[in-house]
Amino acid sequence: MRSYAVQRAGLAVVQLAVLSVLVFVLTSLLPGDAAEMRFTETLTPSQVAALRAELGLDQPPAERFVHWLGNVLTGDLGTSLISGGPVADIVRDSIGATLVLTLTTLAVVVPLAVALGIVMGTRENGGLDRAITSVTLALSAIPDFVIAVVLVAVFALKLGWLPATWVGGDLLASPALLILPVGVLLGRTVCLLSRQVRAGTVAALNAEYVTQARRLGVPRRQLLLRHVLPNAAVPGVQELARTGDTLLGGVLVVEAIFAIPGFATALVDGVETRDVPTVQGLTLVLAVAALLINLGADLVCNRLVPRTEALR
Amino acid sequence: MSVLRGAAGWVAVALCVVPLAVAVLGPFLPYDARAGLPYSSEGLLGTDGLGRDVLGLLLVGGRTALGMAFGAVVMAYLVGGLVGLTAASTRHRWLDEAMMRPLDVLLPLPSLLVISVVAVGWQASAPAITVAVAMVNVPTVARLVRAAALDAASGPVVEALRMQRESWFTIQLGYVGRSVLGPVAADLGTRITLAVFLVASVNFLGLGLSPTAPDWAVSVSRNREGLLLQPWSVLAPALLLVSFTLGFNLLADRLVHRSRRLVGSPA
Amino acid sequence: MWRVSEALGRRGFLGMAGGAGLAAIAGCGADGGAAAQPKQGGRLRAVYAGGGAKEVLDPHVQSLFVDIARHKAIYEKLVELGPDLRPVGRLASTWEHDATATTWRFTLRDATFHDGAKLVADDVLYSLSRIVDPAVPERVAQSSLATLDLKRSKAIGASKVELVLTQPNAEFPALLAGIGTHIVRDGFKDPAKPVGTGAFRHVSFEAGRSLVASRYDGYWDEPARIEELHILSADSEARATAVQGGQAEYANDMTATFARTAEAGKTVRIVASKASTMQAFVMKVDRPPFDNPDVRLAFKLVADRQRLVDVVLAGRGEVGNDLFGKGYQYYPADLPQLERDVDRAKSLLAKAGLAGKEIEIFTADASAGFVEAATLFAEQVAEAGVRLKVTTGSPQTYAKDLLTKGAIGNHRSGAMPIPQYVTDRLLSHSPFNVTHWRRPVFDAAFAAARAVTSEAERSAKYGVLQKTVRDEGGILAWGLPDYLIAVSAKVQGVQAVPPNTLDQGRFDKVWLA
Repeated sequence: MRSYAVQRAGLAVVQLAVLSVLVFVLTSLLPGDAAEMRFTETLTPSQVAALRAELGLDQPPAERFVHWLGNVLTGDLGTSLISGGPVADIVRDSIGATLVLTLTTLAVVVPLAVALGIVMGTRENGGLDRAITSVTLALSAIPDFVIAVVLVAVFALKLGWLPATWVGGDLLASPALLILPVGVLLGRTVCLLSRQVRAGTVAALNAEYVTQARRLGVPRRQLLLRHVLPNAAVPGVQELARTGDTLLGGVLVVEAIFAIPGFATALVDGVETRDVPTVQGLTLVLAVAALLINLGADLVCNRLVPRTEALR
Repeated sequence: MSVLRGAAGWVAVALCVVPLAVAVLGPFLPYDARAGLPYSSEGLLGTDGLGRDVLGLLLVGGRTALGMAFGAVVMAYLVGGLVGLTAASTRHRWLDEAMMRPLDVLLPLPSLLVISVVAVGWQASAPAITVAVAMVNVPTVARLVRAAALDAASGPVVEALRMQRESWFTIQLGYVGRSVLGPVAADLGTRITLAVFLVASVNFLGLGLSPTAPDWAVSVSRNREGLLLQPWSVLAPALLLVSFTLGFNLLADRLVHRSRRLVGSPA
Repeated sequence: MWRVSEALGRRGFLGMAGGAGLAAIAGCGADGGAAAQPKQGGRLRAVYAGGGAKEVLDPHVQSLFVDIARHKAIYEKLVELGPDLRPVGRLASTWEHDATATTWRFTLRDATFHDGAKLVADDVLYSLSRIVDPAVPERVAQSSLATLDLKRSKAIGASKVELVLTQPNAEFPALLAGIGTHIVRDGFKDPAKPVGTGAFRHVSFEAGRSLVASRYDGYWDEPARIEELHILSADSEARATAVQGGQAEYANDMTATFARTAEAGKTVRIVASKASTMQAFVMKVDRPPFDNPDVRLAFKLVADRQRLVDVVLAGRGEVGNDLFGKGYQYYPADLPQLERDVDRAKSLLAKAGLAGKEIEIFTADASAGFVEAATLFAEQVAEAGVRLKVTTGSPQTYAKDLLTKGAIGNHRSGAMPIPQYVTDRLLSHSPFNVTHWRRPVFDAAFAAARAVTSEAERSAKYGVLQKTVRDEGGILAWGLPDYLIAVSAKVQGVQAVPPNTLDQGRFDKVWLA
């Protein structure tokens, strides 16, 4: 177990290194640079050239990358070419909103999806199962931006029950700001997750040891909790890790529509303004988070179902 | 086709086929799109923000909305399939590792983000976005194909074929390749839906195609401000997009269930 | 001999005092004549187009509308621009110049900074030296103040400052009203701790999100009425949603479509500053095909300006007459409007050998309406027998790309004095010369005109130059969009004036009913 974790960690470091180089190369290949992006039509071309020198953009790319790498290894994420402030500040400011969104969504999604999945799985092909399956199937087929546009048009603009954007909003003062964005994020994640839990439940219920336990007269509740759930949870946990992908993608759309100054927006803005240090810093943080989540999911699965097949 | 049994089956097909037909045949229909004032009620479905006939735009907008997604999926399967098959069939572990490990590098990054970044860099380039969507799907497809191929390749049939000295090609493309088709078909539904979502989201965010492109997702995004003035400019393209993904998902789901029931145990 | 120019104080220019008159001059939407008495207190949330990490608190580095609005609340300039882009004194109450218009004396007002210190001449000199400091190229006013000779400029007592120029320029006060020319405290070093003379004090700032400011009761002019000012950032869609949903009371730079939706409803009012900006196609006069003046004229004739205004601006604007600055000081009077003449255009293009040929128009989604206008114009040009192919570039680099790429492209200009526009774009060494209009004779005539101290004479000389640009230049100004602001029903005192002028975004004059 220990050596497995160490092996994974080592692999992760290599992945991060490769990713950093890739991101740097890609961002540097984009046309235009930060000096031009910073001031459109308010600085003369000679001022822009001077600014470029000041920002160090006339140094060879390899040198700039090594410089950045050195800083990162000492914990310094560098300075934004656009704002002039530390990239760490940008990370800190943007990650808050995104974390709140994703964690709230997960906090709602997991219990909901598990409950739905078990309900469907234990009544496989029954009326309720088929009904919920159809609904989740339908919902997961609608793109999140369509859901968002409809929800905003109905609940915010027409009915006026909920705030439409986060413009000037304070989350602590008005938690209702979360409702619509989380609602949009919920849509597809709950559907995908509940289907995985359902599949796991069905598989577990049909498994040998469960039929055996049933014959032995183990009470239903105990059957579910001790025998079915851990096995049912495995595909669910794996799907949860994959949910990170859909969520972070969904977050970009949600952040754009609700004007939430979050992580995904900061990343795309960084690319648009060619703010290479910011893009690299944010990608690094994102990759580290994703790797940790995957590692965590694998370890949890291993605990739940101590079989080698559970490891990817 | 037992998959079409019952009304639900036909509904799914209709939902899926109508947008497909519009996308494929639309550009060839001799529809005379009259230009009018912005967000007016002229014409069957009114006009959009530039005074262009909404119905006329619908007929031309599916090419990018669905075409890019399909193109990306085909590309993803070609590349990913090849990588997966090669990795599974090789005798050398190191080659297998060398092919699969690099794909893992991109796995931590969320697809939409990667594609958005590419889209920002290569402005309004449909091919670039298509390639990006394809590349983002290659790791998963490769893994899928490799797992299925490994299953088949380690089975008794391949052993028998090898003992009969059948060529590498016959074994790989003939038997292993065909046995991979099952899981691939099961995955197809999700993959195409995902591709349509990715392409639509990027275009919706304005990071992809040009803002005046007739693409369905771009229309939904650009005409939001005129929602109350001419709702059809948003609803019509949105309905076509949703109809396709819904229909396709339902169809794919039924296909998978049918194949599962025939084969036996759940995957 | 010293000649005193018109240095109109705010009160003098508006010709009235107090709030009652303001409502009458404004034409703010449905208010009409009967104005309520201004009320004190309240919090106003204004939302502008955001710039993410580009938003700054240092006024000398400003580049976005949201920056300009924020810095206007906290800091002030010596001079501002009136509704016709004429200089109006702010921190400088009056000014005078010598016969050659190279030495200027500004008398400073009795104003205090937020930390209690009085405004003195040294503050002005420090601010100007900070702006032109070559070690910091991002100070935006550096190029416009390039002719300022600080070594020979000096303070005359505490409340007068003498500024010397290296070249005569009768428009000098207008230069001091440009962007990035705010007056800061002598020794100002940390932009994160703003100390200005403006009507509001800085409370907090988050780039990409908001600025919070509170009323400064020691303001030299009439103190603000509202208690708290929030200037927030959001994109076009979010601004519209925010002001409709009650999350903001003031939304800047709205689209014509939004105006249509808002006017159908009741909660939001539109304040429209008519024809205050300019949308144009710009042709490079030094490369084919637009180096041929017939082709330039043909394109100007084939443009269906009214249709462009109707579609791209949704009717919110006037047709343009291929010249910048309609309604501003120095715009030539009685300029006949160029009318559409497709036949004449066709024959001119045929004569130039372009019939049936293809030309590329280089556009990008850099500004609202660019791509749409290019697409529509292509249809119009087709009527004269030429194919105009629309190619799009990257929005972020478009402004820079257009300086070198593309025979024809899009251009949008905000409000600025006409001489400023000429300096920026129509001289041989102009930094933003998108039409590549480089004529030494023109440069010399302009420099001479700018040195003339009699306004009437100067105006006449400018008129001649402008007519030349209009007839022979590469600017096809097809439309003059209205500048639209959305306010909630309870906001009063918002003026319908062009952007970048004194009374635009003037939150010390606004109150909540």
